[in-house]
Amino acid sequence: MESAMSLVEQHAAGRGGRRVSRVVVRVGALAGVDTQALSFAFDVVSEGTCAEGADFEIERVPVTAYCLGCEREFMGEGDDFVFACPDCGDFSGEVRRGRELELSRIELI
Amino acid sequence: MCRECGCADRVPFGVKVLSVIAPKLLQSAARPPAGPETVEIHSPLLAKNDDAAARNRAVFRDRGMLVLNLISSPGSGKTELLSRTMDGFDARSAVLVGDLETDNDARRIHRPHVPVAQITTGTACHLDAEMVARGIERLDLGGVRVLFIENVGNLVCPAEFDLGEEVRVVLLSVTEGEDKPLKYPPIFKSADLVLLTKMDVAEALGFDRQAALSNIGRVAPRARIIELSARSGEGMDEWYAFLNSRLGERREAVVT
Repeated sequence: MESAMSLVEQHAAGRGGRRVSRVVVRVGALAGVDTQALSFAFDVVSEGTCAEGADFEIERVPVTAYCLGCEREFMGEGDDFVFACPDCGDFSGEVRRGRELELSRIELI
Repeated sequence: MCRECGCADRVPFGVKVLSVIAPKLLQSAARPPAGPETVEIHSPLLAKNDDAAARNRAVFRDRGMLVLNLISSPGSGKTELLSRTMDGFDARSAVLVGDLETDNDARRIHRPHVPVAQITTGTACHLDAEMVARGIERLDLGGVRVLFIENVGNLVCPAEFDLGEEVRVVLLSVTEGEDKPLKYPPIFKSADLVLLTKMDVAEALGFDRQAALSNIGRVAPRARIIELSARSGEGMDEWYAFLNSRLGERREAVVT
C-alpha cells in the first residue's frame, strides 16, 4: 500500500506537479460505511501525497428494492431499511442497488 | 469497527482509495498534460476481497464442500453452537475461527475428529477472504464435507466482506433484544439463515419472540429462521436438518 502511495507521488511529480483535485466515491445506503469516518480516513492518508487537500466527495446511492410478486423495482425509503412494496405491501429482501462502495472518478489539475 | 469500512483497521480506507488511483494516474501519464481532467474509474473498493472470495468459492466447489459464514455480536453463542454441533452433527466438519486475539474459541471447539484453525486478526474487526484462504491451508480438509467459519464478533463490518461462503448465517441471541435486526439491517439483509440462539432462557428474559420474528421478517424476508439453544439442545435437530438439506442439494447439483 505504501509503495502504491509513493508511485502516486512520483508520478504526480513527473507530471510537473500534477495534482489530484477531487476524489469521488459512491457509497450505497446499505454499504455499511460511516461516511464521516471515510472522509476522515481520506484526509489522514492523503496527507503529504498528490491528493492532499483534494475535495473528497461522497455520492450516496439510495436503495432500489425489487418486489418479486409485482415484478417491479421501487425505492427503499426511510432509514429503517424495511422495504415494503408500494403496490402489494410485501416486504422485499431483494436489493438491486444500494450496496455500492466504489471509487467513481478523480479530477486532476 | 475498522477504517476499511470507514472505521479503524490496519489498512486505512484512504490507502485503498489511493491504491486504485495510482494505476489510473500512470495511465494518464501516457497522455500529454492538459487542463483539468476527469478520470472515470468506477472500481469497487472491495474488488480485491471479492476476487479472493471468488477464488475461495472455486476451491470450495471443487472440494464439494458446504461452507457457512457465522456472524453475530460478541457473545451471541457462535462458539457454543459450534462446539455442540461438532458433537451432534454427523457429517465430517472443519472450523475456522476468527478473533482479534487468543485461541480460546478454537480450543473450545476442538475435538479429536475436527480440524480447527484459529485466525487472529489483531485489530481487524472482521475476516476477509484472503485470511480465509490462508486459514484453510492450515486445515486438513481431507473428507471434510462442511466448513464452518466463525467470524469475528461484530454486526457491522463483516457484512461487506464476502468470504466465498455458500450460506451466510447471522445469529441473534435472545439476550440482545428483539429490535437488533432493525438496528443492524445490512448484516441481517445479507443473511440466508438467521439463528435465534439461547432460546432456553427466552422466557426468563421476557423475550418477545413474535416481535423478533416479525423484525427479522421485515428486514430479511427471504432468510430462513431457526430457533434453538445449544445448551438445552432444543432446535438443534432443525439446524442439522438444514445443514443436511444443503448438503443434499449439493450432491444433486454435482450429479446434474
